[in-house]
Amino acid sequence: MAENTVNLTIEGRPVSVPAGTSILEAAKTAGVLIPHYCYHSGLPVAGVCRMCLVEVEKMPKLAPACATTVGEGQVVHVYSEKALEARKGVLEFLLINHPLDCPICDQSGECELQDYTFAEGRADSRYREPKRFDPAEDFGGDVLYVKNRCILCTRCVRFMDDVHETTALAVVERGDRAFIGKAPDADLTQPWAANVVDLCPVGALLSKDFLNKARAWELDRTASVCTGCSQGCNITVEMRDNAVMRFKPRANEHVNKFFMCDAGRFSYRDLNRADRLEHPLVAGMAADWETALAAAAKALQGRKAHVVASPSLSNEALYLLKKLAAKTGATVRYHVAQGPEAPLPGVDDLALRADRAANATACELFGFTRTDDVLAGLNAGDVVIAAGDVLEGLGADALAKVGAVIAIGTLRPTTTVATVALPIATVVEEEGTFTNLRGRVQRFLQAKQAPGLARPSWYVLADLLASLGEKAGFHTASEAFDALAVGEAPFAGLSYGALALSGAVVQGAAAGAK
Amino acid sequence: MSAHTHAPYEPVFVGARKQELDDVLKRYPTKMAALLPALWIVQEARGWICEQAMTEVAAQLDLTAAYVKGVVSFYTMYHQHPVGKHFIQVCTTSPCLCAGADKVVDAFLEHTGCKELGVTSADGKYTVIEVECLGACGFATPVQINLDYVENVTADKVPQILAGLK
Repeated sequence: MAENTVNLTIEGRPVSVPAGTSILEAAKTAGVLIPHYCYHSGLPVAGVCRMCLVEVEKMPKLAPACATTVGEGQVVHVYSEKALEARKGVLEFLLINHPLDCPICDQSGECELQDYTFAEGRADSRYREPKRFDPAEDFGGDVLYVKNRCILCTRCVRFMDDVHETTALAVVERGDRAFIGKAPDADLTQPWAANVVDLCPVGALLSKDFLNKARAWELDRTASVCTGCSQGCNITVEMRDNAVMRFKPRANEHVNKFFMCDAGRFSYRDLNRADRLEHPLVAGMAADWETALAAAAKALQGRKAHVVASPSLSNEALYLLKKLAAKTGATVRYHVAQGPEAPLPGVDDLALRADRAANATACELFGFTRTDDVLAGLNAGDVVIAAGDVLEGLGADALAKVGAVIAIGTLRPTTTVATVALPIATVVEEEGTFTNLRGRVQRFLQAKQAPGLARPSWYVLADLLASLGEKAGFHTASEAFDALAVGEAPFAGLSYGALALSGAVVQGAAAGAK
Repeated sequence: MSAHTHAPYEPVFVGARKQELDDVLKRYPTKMAALLPALWIVQEARGWICEQAMTEVAAQLDLTAAYVKGVVSFYTMYHQHPVGKHFIQVCTTSPCLCAGADKVVDAFLEHTGCKELGVTSADGKYTVIEVECLGACGFATPVQINLDYVENVTADKVPQILAGLK
């Protein structure tokens, strides 16, 4: 055993962890969750809530598990009578002024105060005085502060101070009047500020966007990846009634730790659009898939193709698009929308990236041509294959002289010149992988039903290839990925199953890849 | 509050007061340690500590405005709102209440024209508040007016005390 490993016993279970680990983290490795409020793995330790008190043999007093490091031979009792009594007392104090308005509180169902009170708290309160009341305060950005529910854990203050490195919040006043206050002239409009809503263990900091929209227990949750930029933050898509209600960050220590930016958080709205292309179109008329694919194949016969890719398509779709381009002798062009870069200062290599697309890295790995004018080099009579809503905003005159347009997208083509339009699923309606800017290949899963006849993008492109005589029959995204891993050198050795939910890095990724 | 922020903010720490702050800073190992005396300088100069002043103090001491706000709001003796020229604090802890402190409070509210606790009189001269023990229980009821103590106050002495204020 390594020299810097400490052995101890937590709840009768032997635990070995590196020296310097807190008892709370050590207990996690033994499958014991010590109740806590102020502690969060992504923030500095404060030790203010006293909820994680545990009994350590030979220590005179109960110890806060978040701020006590492990010692050799320690014996920790999390559920001893003494520890339970102390935590019950802490909960009773926290609930003195807490309004217990769970039925109308957005946090209900995902509230740590609710959970721990249910697990360890008293059944009733001995407090008979009137509770303190303060009106809710708009903190700016997406954040609403409901003072009455606040337990002053200061996670939000520490996030803004130490992770966002923009001091906006502080504990003001004192005693039972204390609350979280904004600094003079400050608000929470910073690019990563809405993370305080996720960090808040109770219903004190709420998302204004999500306010009163759904109960936590009604939501179906699916692991996915944010498509807002090339960072590829891991997210959970939370759905109700086939509509996306919100995005929440999903922890991935290699990519986004526990956080996601506000721009990514609100990109879910695009996924609930009602103006979707729901069935294939041939010359503007609804058609079935066989007719549409035959029409596309016919349009391509004897003509040169001009392929434009969206950098927001999955690895699988882009790989098949590359094969399609090779079949028709064309290069693939793509354009990446740009925006200002917004780093989260306290976390290494985490930012809202300037490349506002999920998969520009894969386009680069596949050797596609990055350009601002995706129609450059287009000759009269060419067939434009536009994959992934890339014709949005282009005037009909730009495409006036082309032989045909095959538009593959989620939205009705805005130009009327599309010879064939093929409906595909959005990121939350299909399965697949993206490659982030550090070369990490990450899976996203299907959360939502695609509308009408829309099909997954890899499925549509494989069918299109098949209609041109290429053998490319895949039944699942996993099969398409395996073909990609065989066909493309950077992806060699990766397997869909082994990617799991934290991803894996492509061959030869840039130095400093995570 | 808005009524008090129309005029442009004039910095506190210029000239003699900047010198005063520099002298204070010499007494402490860190700039942060001088926060409380720096806030006293502001309160003496302006009568209360507005948010711009908190920002100014923060800049002077390399702190954040949020931190300064936390400290100002923690201590009850820093005023976060304008108060009258004479800030009258009446002790209403148990021994003083036994000695009739509540009647002293009523008399101050009536004779100053403040009418309500914590409200500044229309002429801007007086603000009356109740405070916890002033540590002069043997001289109940003590009243602290700005930095001065007046002891053995009874309701009938109030007009005379007010007349003596400049």
